[in-house]
Amino acid sequence: MNSSNSFQPGASPVGISRTRSDRLNEWLDRHSQTFFIAPAVVLLLVFAIFPTFYSIVFALSRVKFTANGLRFRFVWFDNFLAQFSGNEQAHFLGRLTNISVLGWVFFAAVTAATLYWLYKSFRNGASVVGLIGRFISAAMAIFIAFLLGATLLSGNPWGTLMTTMFYVVVGCTVQFLIGTALAFLCSQPISGKNFFRVLFFIPLMITPLGVGYAFKMVLDITKGPLQPLWDAIGLQNWAWSTDAWAARWFVILGDSWQWIPFIFIVMLAALENVSRDQVEAAEVDGASNVQIFREITWPQIMPVAVTVILIRMIEAFKIVDLPNIMTSGGPGIATESMTLHSYFLWRANDMGSSAAVAYLLLILTVVVCSSFFNYIVLGQLRKAK
Amino acid sequence: MKFYKNAAAAAVSAIMLSGLASAASAGEFDGVTVNILTRPGPVIAGPLKERGLAFEKATGAKIVVNEVPFAEIFPKIQNDWTTKTNSIDVGVFAAGWGVELDAAGLLEDLDPYIAKDKKIDAADIAPYFREFGQKIGGKTKLLMVDGDFQMVYYRTDVLKKAGLQPPKTWQDYIDVASKIHGQDMNGDGQPDYGSCIFKKRNAQSYFAIQTIASSFVQTKGTSQGFHFDNATMKPIINNEAWKKAFEIYKETGKYGPPEELNMDIGDTRAVFKAGRCGLLIEWGDPGTLQLDDDAAKVKGLIYAVSAVGSKEVLDRKTGKLVPVTKENAPNSIDGINYAPFAAFGGWAGAVNAAADAKKKAAAYAFLSYMNQAAQSNVDVTIGSTGYNPYRLSQLKSTDLWVKAGMPKELADNYLGAINGALNNPNMASDMKIPGAQQYTGVVLDTELARYLAGEITVDQALKNIEEGWEKITEDFGRKEQIKAQALALGL
Amino acid sequence: MSDLSLKLEKSDRSLLQRLFEAPAIGKMSLTSKLLSYSVLWFWAIFVIFPIYWVVITAFKDAAAVNQGPFYIPFVDFQPNLNAWRVHLSDPYCDAYAIGRQLILLVYNTFAFIVSPVVSLQAMEPQICKTYLAFTNSVVIGAAATVLCVSIGSMAAYALARVQYKPKFGNILVFVLLALGTIVATSYAGIPWYFSTAVGLVLFFLLARALGKRFTSTLGNGDILFWIISQRILPPIVVIIPIYMMFQAVGLLDTHLALVIVYAVANLPIVVWLMHDFFVGLPIELEESAQLDGASRFGIFWDIVLPLTRPGLAATTLLTLILNWNEYLFAVFLSTSKSQTMPIMVAAKNAGEKGILWWEMCAIIVIMIIPVILMAILLQRFIARGVLLGAVKG
Repeated sequence: MNSSNSFQPGASPVGISRTRSDRLNEWLDRHSQTFFIAPAVVLLLVFAIFPTFYSIVFALSRVKFTANGLRFRFVWFDNFLAQFSGNEQAHFLGRLTNISVLGWVFFAAVTAATLYWLYKSFRNGASVVGLIGRFISAAMAIFIAFLLGATLLSGNPWGTLMTTMFYVVVGCTVQFLIGTALAFLCSQPISGKNFFRVLFFIPLMITPLGVGYAFKMVLDITKGPLQPLWDAIGLQNWAWSTDAWAARWFVILGDSWQWIPFIFIVMLAALENVSRDQVEAAEVDGASNVQIFREITWPQIMPVAVTVILIRMIEAFKIVDLPNIMTSGGPGIATESMTLHSYFLWRANDMGSSAAVAYLLLILTVVVCSSFFNYIVLGQLRKAK
Repeated sequence: MKFYKNAAAAAVSAIMLSGLASAASAGEFDGVTVNILTRPGPVIAGPLKERGLAFEKATGAKIVVNEVPFAEIFPKIQNDWTTKTNSIDVGVFAAGWGVELDAAGLLEDLDPYIAKDKKIDAADIAPYFREFGQKIGGKTKLLMVDGDFQMVYYRTDVLKKAGLQPPKTWQDYIDVASKIHGQDMNGDGQPDYGSCIFKKRNAQSYFAIQTIASSFVQTKGTSQGFHFDNATMKPIINNEAWKKAFEIYKETGKYGPPEELNMDIGDTRAVFKAGRCGLLIEWGDPGTLQLDDDAAKVKGLIYAVSAVGSKEVLDRKTGKLVPVTKENAPNSIDGINYAPFAAFGGWAGAVNAAADAKKKAAAYAFLSYMNQAAQSNVDVTIGSTGYNPYRLSQLKSTDLWVKAGMPKELADNYLGAINGALNNPNMASDMKIPGAQQYTGVVLDTELARYLAGEITVDQALKNIEEGWEKITEDFGRKEQIKAQALALGL
Repeated sequence: MSDLSLKLEKSDRSLLQRLFEAPAIGKMSLTSKLLSYSVLWFWAIFVIFPIYWVVITAFKDAAAVNQGPFYIPFVDFQPNLNAWRVHLSDPYCDAYAIGRQLILLVYNTFAFIVSPVVSLQAMEPQICKTYLAFTNSVVIGAAATVLCVSIGSMAAYALARVQYKPKFGNILVFVLLALGTIVATSYAGIPWYFSTAVGLVLFFLLARALGKRFTSTLGNGDILFWIISQRILPPIVVIIPIYMMFQAVGLLDTHLALVIVYAVANLPIVVWLMHDFFVGLPIELEESAQLDGASRFGIFWDIVLPLTRPGLAATTLLTLILNWNEYLFAVFLSTSKSQTMPIMVAAKNAGEKGILWWEMCAIIVIMIIPVILMAILLQRFIARGVLLGAVKG
């Protein structure tokens, strides 16, 4: 594409005739800034933004299949309200009766802490947009604290919203701790690092559906490979799939098996980026491993750590294959995540409710992830700079 | 150079296009491909594939069987046909699901084809399946390949050893199960289970509960139904009868495998074939499945009762259970009301009304081929096909079955049970109205699963089901549902 | 740093500390080494075991699966090729049929592309189950990855080098018109092409007018944030509308639909990762090339891309893996012709005969092998690529 030296891009030298394709190329080049970014923006607008809006219409209607296609009946926010009160409340939120004292105390404590935080930000002069954002985050925090207090702390079963939060919070925490620990071990001067690195990456490449089935097989009490183990500890007649909490933890087990490699790879690279010189200097000074980690390593990998947690959280909200395959939503609805809840509703041809639950998931994901990003990730990144 | 390139390209395309023409003989349906959508094989889909090959040799039509997970069959077909995508030409699914598709005008009327068909012998199809299974609104829209209703099975050797009679009522069922639970039924030294039922959510559990409930609720014949008050479409679910049924269902769990709540039909079949179950609620398959190689331990030992009934029935005015009398239960025998439940209605094939004429003709021809006695009578004797008897010729004599390897006594018992059920005027129909899948497969199934898991009480479950059903009825329009129910029950 | 040394005295060290003390700088104590290796090997076994179980189950038959766990082939059970025979020897399939399938795929895509101009009869491929699924997965995965990486890299490069200033007013107008179009189509029953056309026309008119009124603009950072935040969108939210959209243009159950959807789903990741690479490149090379008269695309293709090969490789591999394993969109958008491998896995849940574990494991094995091979080849690049993206992000 190089013409000779003295030309500006797009301009043709005097005396040489320009062909049609030359002119086309020049025009393309002049508008290159549009053409470079246009495909991506158009695709996203048409296939991500537009369907999101379309989904609102589904969520606000009752949809019926007729001979001429779909018939929409506008019902305001009925589909949403149905999830929060009435029949489906226990499916979505959980049973909220008989809240215990502990539940109330917990709720009050979290509300107080959140309001205090809001007040402090107001006093510290946050912008209007910032305050609105904080208000939304606070509202979500208080709501989830209420649910937690009313269900788990009061001996009530909870619904798909809290199950999803369980998968996200507990799952990400477990995966982060184990992944970082493994990365830390692997970053030590040991041999066979590359072998471990390749091996630990493999679970990430198996389709989640396959992982679900693999774990269903492996954890089977009667036919699975762990059967002698179950026998030995006297659990041969116990069915983990019929116990709500065991089922949830086993789903987290499968999920962790698949996603710890991701955390491992990223944290390993981060740990390897920590300069050996600083560490060795500290060792010369006689610092213990713990101190080295706390004072030197951790501050340097903190930005990467919070970012990788954020990425993992974003993906964790979408969990659907594992609970579907391993327990079909669990004993009752114990392991049903919100995506699974929406999927089952679609299968039942209840498009309106399916879209409503999907939207509630979107709201939950956006608020939680944005809050995490704004208050923790950005804070860490600013500190690092 | 360019010439040779072009020639080569032409040659390649010629070869390619020639290969696209159907091989061998000029059959009646040459070049036609029929796309069938059904559940994963080898059950149901297996015979479709095998017979499809034979059909192709005879007529030239290619039969392609697409398999999707069970719960997705109906949404996929409904989406495909309502949105006019039309990738699917034939759906093989539950006979009851056809009603909703037919209401949207999506099913081809098969009566004109049947009139011209000399081989199908429609009179041989059992009246219940011919009138209630294949016909919607008086017109044949489906062709059966399999006739379904549920029966109770028992291990004849185990019951004999314990000196017990096969259960006649559901209370008997629990008694028998409790007495034989824990015995070693297959000689491997491990204690085995009194009763095995597929209680997994999103599987087949919601059929078994209806098998139990029907005998408590329906007394006056098939046209009475046991889900709704037919005049108003109010659900008849929140009452003592269904409550008793739920409680019995939960109690059978005490005498079952520990993982029963997560066992679907595949799991329970593996367990009873290994000889570990004393009692079963199942479709017609165990009769033939016990002849399989991997069921050697129980071959000839699994007998059937055509129906298990109840000594109490529902008084619809008060919602309470009252003892059986000849007035409130005219079909009762010896004070016990029986209502065999035609669970699922049977697998049947429906043709997409929007497919082109040649495809529809080929599709009908294939379904008729599957339905004809020459093929069907062989398929129903093989357990792995999943096809159960629905033709009178299959049920008249035991010769067919003995030839397939059934011991004579078992064949007598098995056919006796099936005939007893099919001829029972109080046979209970599965739901055949729009939204049938939502009513039973979703609402009933979810609340039942939550009750079994101990999340809610039985009263809450029944109340939730009632509310859920009312919401679905409102969605579809109460008047339309009343009309549909009348059509379904032949009122 | 020297504070640390002041805090320690030799006699203050407990037994535990002495156990873990390193013998020399840069080396590990024996106990630390033992601990590290045992933990790592424990985890390695935890990772390998389910995979091992899947692989040997692929070689079992019904009896070997249902009668309790058998661990070692040839010792505990006889491996056989039942599952593989089911998949690989479809009665409809021979090499000829498979070849034809591929050609038909190309032909049908071509037919669709020219369909507005000329109507060509789409030909139906013979369905060779597993081969079809595998071919579909490969074709769709590769095409989607190429599309996604190319579009994403171009966008990322543009965001790194060009200052964009989209007007807030335009965005507002777009949102309102989009909502209006949808409402009109759904509730008022106006045909979709009509309402979309009207919407587009209105957008261009109003954008020009309002553009002069609302002049507040957004910057590159906002655009980048918007693109990357699309990853937060749970697929389940958009699945039904996308289904309706594709149905309206007759693209259901085609490869094109899945390719587009997968490309869009992974665009945020590609843009995020590639953007950091491009930002990190020195601008001098490009400036001198520009002085030489190269076009923007020429600079991008000849100079910039080769410099970011590691990042490109990592991104490509990541995208390919995500496309290869995707299930939810495939299940909604395909019925028979464009089924992919994950759907075949799910279809082995045969319900009544139980899950055909051995057949399912065979498919999982077929799915894993290509991905593992690729990952081994490109594993060096992965960590670096993801790390850089994560830190700067």
